Amino acid sequence: MSAQGILMEPTSSTSNARAALNPGLISVIVPVVERADALVAVYHAFARELEARPEAYEFIFIFDGRFTPPAELVTLARENEAVRLLRFARSFGETAALRLGIEKSRGDLVITLPAYFQVQPEGIRLLLEAVSGGADMVVASRSPRLDSWLNRLQSRAFHRIVGGVSEQRFHDMACGVRAMRRSVAEALPLYGDLHRFIPALALREGFRVEEVSVPQHPDDARTRLYRPGVYLRRLLDIGTFFFLAKFTEKPLRFFGLVGSLFLGAGTLLSLVLLVQRIVGQGIANRPALLLAVLLLALGVQLMGLGLVGEIIVHLRAPHRRAYRVRERA
Amino acid sequence: MDCPDLVNQTSVSSASAKANTGVPTLSVVAPLYNEAENVRPLVEWILQALESYVGTFEVILVDDGSRDGTWNEVRAAAIDPRIRGLRLGANVGQTAAMMAGFDNSRGEVIVSLDGDLQNDPRDIPALVSKLSEGYDLVCGWRQSRKDKLLLRKVPSWLANRLIRGLTGVPITDNGCSLKAYRRDLLRRISLYAEQHRFIPALSASVGARITEMPVRHHARRFGESKYGISRTLKVLVDLITLKMITTFRSRPLLGFGLAAIPALAVALVFGGFWLFSLTHFGPEKAAALIFPGAGLLALEVAFYLFMLGLVAEVALNSERGDANDIPNAWEVR
Repeated sequence: MSAQGILMEPTSSTSNARAALNPGLISVIVPVVERADALVAVYHAFARELEARPEAYEFIFIFDGRFTPPAELVTLARENEAVRLLRFARSFGETAALRLGIEKSRGDLVITLPAYFQVQPEGIRLLLEAVSGGADMVVASRSPRLDSWLNRLQSRAFHRIVGGVSEQRFHDMACGVRAMRRSVAEALPLYGDLHRFIPALALREGFRVEEVSVPQHPDDARTRLYRPGVYLRRLLDIGTFFFLAKFTEKPLRFFGLVGSLFLGAGTLLSLVLLVQRIVGQGIANRPALLLAVLLLALGVQLMGLGLVGEIIVHLRAPHRRAYRVRERA
Repeated sequence: MDCPDLVNQTSVSSASAKANTGVPTLSVVAPLYNEAENVRPLVEWILQALESYVGTFEVILVDDGSRDGTWNEVRAAAIDPRIRGLRLGANVGQTAAMMAGFDNSRGEVIVSLDGDLQNDPRDIPALVSKLSEGYDLVCGWRQSRKDKLLLRKVPSWLANRLIRGLTGVPITDNGCSLKAYRRDLLRRISLYAEQHRFIPALSASVGARITEMPVRHHARRFGESKYGISRTLKVLVDLITLKMITTFRSRPLLGFGLAAIPALAVALVFGGFWLFSLTHFGPEKAAALIFPGAGLLALEVAFYLFMLGLVAEVALNSERGDANDIPNAWEVR
């Protein structure tokens, strides 16, 4: 094999290359991906809240391709070094925006904030208090909810499904207001659309995650009803999360289980056909034989897929650890 | 969690604080999950057993996300400089907890044992001296097991027979946690999922010299067993993985190619049927598409398995160059 044929892993230099971290700096990351009706007002309201605290703070706005920074915010960023605006050339979505924000921020405390009023600004104080209380990540849970019953029903259904997988029950994972230590932010396995599961992901990584009730802002209370495609994607997201949570380390346990169901059904059907053939019934003109072979084929294919998954997991094993040390004595 | 270094960074301060005891030559690793009552007797027992041990040792107690007072007990025990505690962020299971202990151990020889007092620390010195006879792994073999017959012993006997038959590694008791390892071996095997049962087989696949010796076994004194019979099916599936990994790790295409042979055979049989009926009964009866259809499906499976093997080769190739790929060997003198 030629030298070019060998794929090299890029050396991970991100953590060294980044500017020195600032202890006592709070980084506020605002992904502008969905709604941005009160961007400037959000900045002023939350900045005022942070102004009252001893720590310094910075705001990082990440604009997804579809959004242009409002002029007022641009002037603000020019005057104030603590406000930075970043813009994607095209639409990459909330997860990518959050990752970029985490990468570009320097504070040892990271706050994520939606680009509209989701909670009352005072709520931020409750989150920061809980972090100083020892939690690694604190997520806001909007309560009391001012939304329509429809929103609440959707949210309840979502959390019921997800709650089956995660160890700790969360009540408002859709809320974009979170505070976390930098170590947590950097350890989150964020890609795709996994930002919806951030609290559960952090929990799975072995961090202490707390939920704090924060009063909801009236702006957030409008009824949300999405196109059917959106619900379908949400379901896919849940499926992804479920699969990742249960089977990332042992893919064959999933594929093998489903595959052996197919194999079992196929074997059974084949045996029935074999007996019928011996007894004297013809099977050549019946589709049942095709079905039996198809079931066996599917079973073998699923098993094979699972095994490839196992090989990949095994190859990655020297670089991965499933545990996180929280404390030493 | 991709980067173990990140985890280790936090250890610098506490490790240096204990450095004054010198680098130990022996590390004893015990994973604990909800074993609060067992911590103190376990530590006492280990210290007693190692009283006459020449050389320095450390005991690493790994609290695997317990929900009872285990961590407080560990912290109290860690006042002794020879005892170190690790508290994991979440309950990650015995294998990962053992890995946490291994990764943070410093001895050239490492002994693992259960935190539930069922293993007897008095066996540790014998295991260690057996290791120095020229082995990389010494497995404990529990004599007169004190467990429930139907729920624990029978499945375990079956599993051991299966593992032995499938991998050819002649170890009688794969499930015993009491084992002694050379550090060099632990550098070569990275355990994950629930692979602690397969340590002998995985070690053999990287060229380790393995032996076993009888050890004592006690009935559980406190707490509850964390095993149930439900894991049997999982172990069966894991065995398929084990076979694949230990035999075809460096040549997956061969494994998938071998698996494709039966599919090819089925395709040939159905194809033969079809040819037979075509030549003997004429085209109108052979026009029943069942036989060629089934044959083509089988052919497709063979082809698919072959392609999967190629994907596995690609995955393997992109991860190559790991020193762990080279099997171990010893000077012959």
